[in-house]
Amino acid sequence: MAGAAAVLSGCVTAGGDDPAEQATGAVTDDNPLGVPEGADLEVVMFDGGYGQEYTRHAVTLYEERHPDATVTHEGLQKVGEVLQPRFVSGEPPDVVDNSGAGRLDIAALAAAGQLTDLADLLDAPSLDDPAVTVGDLLLPGVVEDGTLDGTVSFLNYSYVVWGIWYSRSLFDQHGWTLPATWDDMLALCEEIKGAGIAPWTWQGKYPEYMMDPLQSLAAKAGGLDLVYAIDNLAPDAWRQEGVLAAADAIHRLVAGGHILEGSEGLSHTEAQNAWCSGQAAFIPCGSWIEGEQQGVTPEGFDMAMAAVPALTAADALPDGAVQGASSESFLVPAQALNPRGGLDYLRCLFSGEVARGFAESAKAMPVVKGATDGLDLTSGLASVAAALETAGDNVFGYKYRTWYPELAVEVDTATGELLAGRADPEQWADRIQAAADAVAADDSIAKYER
Amino acid sequence: MRHGKYRFLIGALAPPLLLYGVFVVSPYAQAFYLALTDWDGLSAEAGLVGLQNFADLWSDPLFLAALRNNGLMLVVVPTATIALALFFAACLTLGGGMRRRGRGVHGSGLYRIVYFFPQLLSVAILGVLFQFVYTPGNGLLNGLLGAVGLDGLQRSWLADPATALPAVTAVMVWSAVGFYVVLFTAAMESVPTDVVEAATLDGAGRFTVFRRITLPLVWDSVQVAYVYLGILALDGFALVQIMSVGPGGPDNATEVIGLTLYRAAFTYGEFGYASAMGVTLFFITLTLTALAMRATKRERVELA
Amino acid sequence: MKPRLLKPRLTDGALHLVLAVWAVLVTLPLAWAVLSSLKTDAEIFASPWSLPASPQWDNWARAWQEANIGKYLLNTLIVVGGALALVMLLGALTAYCLARYDFPGNRLVYYLLVAGMLFPVFLALVPLFFVVDQLGLLGTYHGLILVYAAYALPFTVFFLHAFFRSLPAATAEAAFIDGCSHTGVFFRVMLPMARPGMVSVGIFNFLGLWNQYLLPLVLNPDPDRYVLAQGLAALAVSQGYRSDFSGLFAGLIIAILPVLLAYLLFQRQIRSGLTAGAVR
Repeated sequence: MAGAAAVLSGCVTAGGDDPAEQATGAVTDDNPLGVPEGADLEVVMFDGGYGQEYTRHAVTLYEERHPDATVTHEGLQKVGEVLQPRFVSGEPPDVVDNSGAGRLDIAALAAAGQLTDLADLLDAPSLDDPAVTVGDLLLPGVVEDGTLDGTVSFLNYSYVVWGIWYSRSLFDQHGWTLPATWDDMLALCEEIKGAGIAPWTWQGKYPEYMMDPLQSLAAKAGGLDLVYAIDNLAPDAWRQEGVLAAADAIHRLVAGGHILEGSEGLSHTEAQNAWCSGQAAFIPCGSWIEGEQQGVTPEGFDMAMAAVPALTAADALPDGAVQGASSESFLVPAQALNPRGGLDYLRCLFSGEVARGFAESAKAMPVVKGATDGLDLTSGLASVAAALETAGDNVFGYKYRTWYPELAVEVDTATGELLAGRADPEQWADRIQAAADAVAADDSIAKYER
Repeated sequence: MRHGKYRFLIGALAPPLLLYGVFVVSPYAQAFYLALTDWDGLSAEAGLVGLQNFADLWSDPLFLAALRNNGLMLVVVPTATIALALFFAACLTLGGGMRRRGRGVHGSGLYRIVYFFPQLLSVAILGVLFQFVYTPGNGLLNGLLGAVGLDGLQRSWLADPATALPAVTAVMVWSAVGFYVVLFTAAMESVPTDVVEAATLDGAGRFTVFRRITLPLVWDSVQVAYVYLGILALDGFALVQIMSVGPGGPDNATEVIGLTLYRAAFTYGEFGYASAMGVTLFFITLTLTALAMRATKRERVELA
Repeated sequence: MKPRLLKPRLTDGALHLVLAVWAVLVTLPLAWAVLSSLKTDAEIFASPWSLPASPQWDNWARAWQEANIGKYLLNTLIVVGGALALVMLLGALTAYCLARYDFPGNRLVYYLLVAGMLFPVFLALVPLFFVVDQLGLLGTYHGLILVYAAYALPFTVFFLHAFFRSLPAATAEAAFIDGCSHTGVFFRVMLPMARPGMVSVGIFNFLGLWNQYLLPLVLNPDPDRYVLAQGLAALAVSQGYRSDFSGLFAGLIIAILPVLLAYLLFQRQIRSGLTAGAVR
């Protein structure tokens, strides 16, 4: 048992090895981030809906810039389990795309001092135009999304907009028009039912899909104050008038029998396929749905996204406001062997060339300004771009899901109950409020404010 | 002639115990220590918090729901599996009457081959497969019910709190029964046929033969089965994670300790707290095993 | 005896009915998965029962390519085979010593080993990673083999301990008298006598190790060394992002087939081995 004792002394919390020497190279115009000569680079990517084409594309650019470096690029689906021990032991890769269901808690990573400050990257000249910095290339909100406690800890690559999806051809065929308010929506639902089609389906196994239209309606009704109250865990935030009215609006879909039977038991792909095969008219989703469904979308389906309708004509936010946020988080670990190389890799990734390729291969919006200009966009992506255009500055987003995952789990459970008709809006709000209060009272959970 | 006993013992036991100590005991010992800390799973330091994590467990609704569900599974999975397996094994061996003299019903070999199939599927495959079996619209189960005119029984099996946990439990039982049928069948076949014949001549019915002669002789196998199935029932993590709504839903109906622990460790970064759950689970299992072994201990029937 | 001869025939009919119902329940999901793997996605969604208009063999080709089943199968065989051999040898030795020798600490060692069965594995994952990493065994075949064997040891010892206890003492005594060493008695006398038990626990272990998922997930991050369970999980996850149900079904079937074939080929040996050990 002597061996066991020896290993025990190298306990997980005893700290990793001394940090390895993090070399830096000379800063030149050609090498603005000071990447050391010939240093290898290890890139670990989340292999999900956007595929690996764009991250490999960036590898190619990086290899052109650093011909002596050996670059390893690996796509993973459970980033968390694989990388967590590497972070603790002080041997993380140089760049990580921390996304997907198995991602690491990024706030905890930041709190543990595991992330490199990305300020140098934002100030560095972009690959496209030395006169423009990388930071200037990004859409508004992206730097804010990646800032934790005043430090830019990560940068998201994809700009996601949430809305309600429909088939243009189906709507044209029946002469349906998109509803402007929720009352119009309920009236249209009756009409759709009359045509023998279920008005709505949703990804019941993952209730957060339906939480997006619900919280969009709430934000529209109550404005940004409502959103901030929720994110800041304010007392009775979930019992605000707008929140209850939004929950009631969604609950009316259930009460009115407007949801495809059995939806509460469908996975996201199953629900989306039911929608694509014409069994339901509307489905709530983020803008990634077109990429996810590209293999099974029927010819001439013409999918498009509409902004969630106004809750009432008296909403606080103007028509066309949408919930949007950046996602697909790229970070450079603080203990990486080649953090400067990691930053330079991101400089390649956030270039116009890679971003354009991303829009084409992943059918999603990159966060790089003007990347989709002049591209021949597919029907879904074009509708997303149009919705963003209409929304202008009125793009809102919630933070509680990232800040307090404990709360998000309870929100989803309650929303599942609401949609299954087992809870009414009051019970829904009470349940979530209780969970929010518990998080607010728990000292062991780090708090954020906006 | 028995000199060198200790030299042999040391030589024989050192490699396995070293292996076990390094790869099993030391990580678990660290987990015991971590259960007393607030380690987030990512930083190099952890603060000692004493028994706070254990105290918090009892006011955590998710953990309590998980405990309840695992408890239910612990009762249902071994009992149902062993009952079904004993029943089928008895059908296979005791059928056929005197003519076939304990060789069982016709085609019993074929049944045994087929029954074993589910054992060949890994948990990941099971989860994915049964997710489709239970799917509301075009799933196998609802399709089957519709085909035989039982439309009224069709439902969203995994989305209804009343049926979600039974649905998951049924998968565990479904996959385990065959293995134990094979196990018990062989145990029953080893019962000497002349004993059975003698009993039958004395006028004992099949059920009496089963209860008085067969069952006591397979009791050892039943005991092993109980422990093995109990451990299976306390897990359930992979199945729930793949199949259930949420996962763990609806309304925490399928929450299991493995899932709560996994979420705490990897989603919330509360590794110390997660370790406390594991340690608690360990002691619960330990107690239950000890109790089960005591309860099922019976004098073995010697036939020799 | 006359009435008795008639009665079994009648009840045999009922028995067959009961047995057949379970046989159908067992095979139906598998048959249905095979059927689905040959349909297009649209056909799968149209009806669970319909036959494919034309069998879509390219589903299989796609899954084979994507899931690298061939490579993963080989990796799995290497790791599981190695671990199985190791754990059987070490497990038998340990169980034998604990069952047949009296020495101080015997019970302690036994309970320490058996306790290993009761602990959820994922709790040990992160500490285990450090142990394996510090020994330089991360992402290697032999590292995975050692870890697999270590985690299979408790059940092996638990099972074989009871088995060695039940073996008659007389044979061993005779061998000692004939001048056999302790090692000799174990390898030449006791191990052959324990063969049925070894085969049984070997099958238990094979199935358990074959299905191991969490350990390789963390300790085997290199996709070139993925074992089958990892490959399958990757296929299932990527299905979630690209909607390819038929491909997923095909992947499942491809992954099941080798095990199923092996089972059908050796089913007699497997079943007799499995059960010979369980019946003591």
